[in-house]
Order: sequence, then C-alpha cells, then structure tokens
Amino acid sequence: MSTHSIRWNPFDPADPGPCIKFSVTRFLDDIEAGQKVGLEYSAAPIPTALIDTGSPFTIINKVLARTCNLHRTNPHFEIITMGGPCDCEEFCGSLSFPDSPLPRIPEVRILAREFYKETAYSCIIGRNILKRWNICFDGKSRLVTITATDSA
Amino acid sequence: METATPLQTELKVFEEHRQEWVRSHLGKFVVIQDRNVVQDFFDEFEDAFRAGIRKFGGDRDFLVKQIWKTQPVYFVV
Repeated sequence: MSTHSIRWNPFDPADPGPCIKFSVTRFLDDIEAGQKVGLEYSAAPIPTALIDTGSPFTIINKVLARTCNLHRTNPHFEIITMGGPCDCEEFCGSLSFPDSPLPRIPEVRILAREFYKETAYSCIIGRNILKRWNICFDGKSRLVTITATDSA
Repeated sequence: METATPLQTELKVFEEHRQEWVRSHLGKFVVIQDRNVVQDFFDEFEDAFRAGIRKFGGDRDFLVKQIWKTQPVYFVV
C-alpha cells in the first residue's frame, strides 16, 4: 500500500480542487516491446490532473491524447456535462503519478475532449481510477490523502 | 485498413451485429478490428483491451465497445 498527500483549500474559490501530477503513455506492454527492439521514447509530459468524484471516467485533453499516441478504441463517446453534450474520443493508455509513490496503472480507459478554459489541469481523474484508491480529506489540515488499495 | 474517419468499418460491423449481441451479451464489451471480432465478450473494458492486444497486436487501433440496447447517458459534473 502506498500513500500520497496533496493540499487542497476548498474554501478558496480560485482553488480548482485537489490536483496531482500525472503522466500518460501508451499501454505499458507496447512500450516495453518497443524498447526491446531498440525504439526510444521521449519522456512523457508531466501535466496536472484534477481529482473529480463527479466524473465516471478519466478524461484528458485531446491534444495530450494525440501527442502521447494513445491507442484509440472508439472515435465517438458521448458524455453530458453542465455545458451540454460533449463528443469525446475513447483511448486506452497507461497512467502514472511521477511525484508520488502511487502505483502505475498499466492500462485504463481514457476519454479525450477539448479543454477550453481548464487552464489549471489537463486531466480529470474520474471514478474508474478512484475505485482503486482510498481518499480521505481532512478539513482542518486541508490535506487530501490518497492510499492505493491495489496495484491493478 | 485505417479510413479517414477512424474505426468506421468496425462501427459498421458492430451495428450489423448489435441486435444479436443485445440478446446474447448485453452489457459486455466486444473487440473488433476491420471485420474480425474477438470471440469472447468481456465484463471490463481493460480485459477486452488486453484480449484485443493478444489477438491483433498493438500496431493498429481496434474498437472496444460495450453492448447496450440504447446508449447510456454518462453525466460528468
């Protein structure tokens, strides 16, 4: 079990929410197979993700999905946001959390859409990731503590 | 073959079989590349994806789609 704590001030209207650094790549087996035959992969970017219990899925910026060459599994996947219907693409990729001891998730469903005004983050970590974690918020210390309950 | 709009052949194959699969595998995930369908159906997206990699490899995209009578509405708030 690994644990990671992040600061979040829910009383500050400008605070976007609990955020964590992440990295997204093609699924791990594919990268390992490529490395065995001598392919080199550039270091993945390390953007910021918002932890969002209101989202059933993990959603990243469409530009990031294309930059990281994720494996597309569905060109159209509709979700409904407060702004109305949104047509996403669906991918499978691997997520890791470089600034934390939380284990890498070797393959997971990831939706991708345009991020217009979300300047503070380029990923929403949804419940398909959160189901692997135990999350506790301490209002006094304003700390969100994540404990990974499994490595899968 | 990759077409201008990705996975269009696979989506067509899915629609051709959808009524049959709704009766036999409602809620499961199916995996399709070109007109080739992985024989098993899966409870979880990740299991379906891994089966697709085993059958088709990782060089080209393949469709992973859940079988519903009507598409569910997923709210993100």
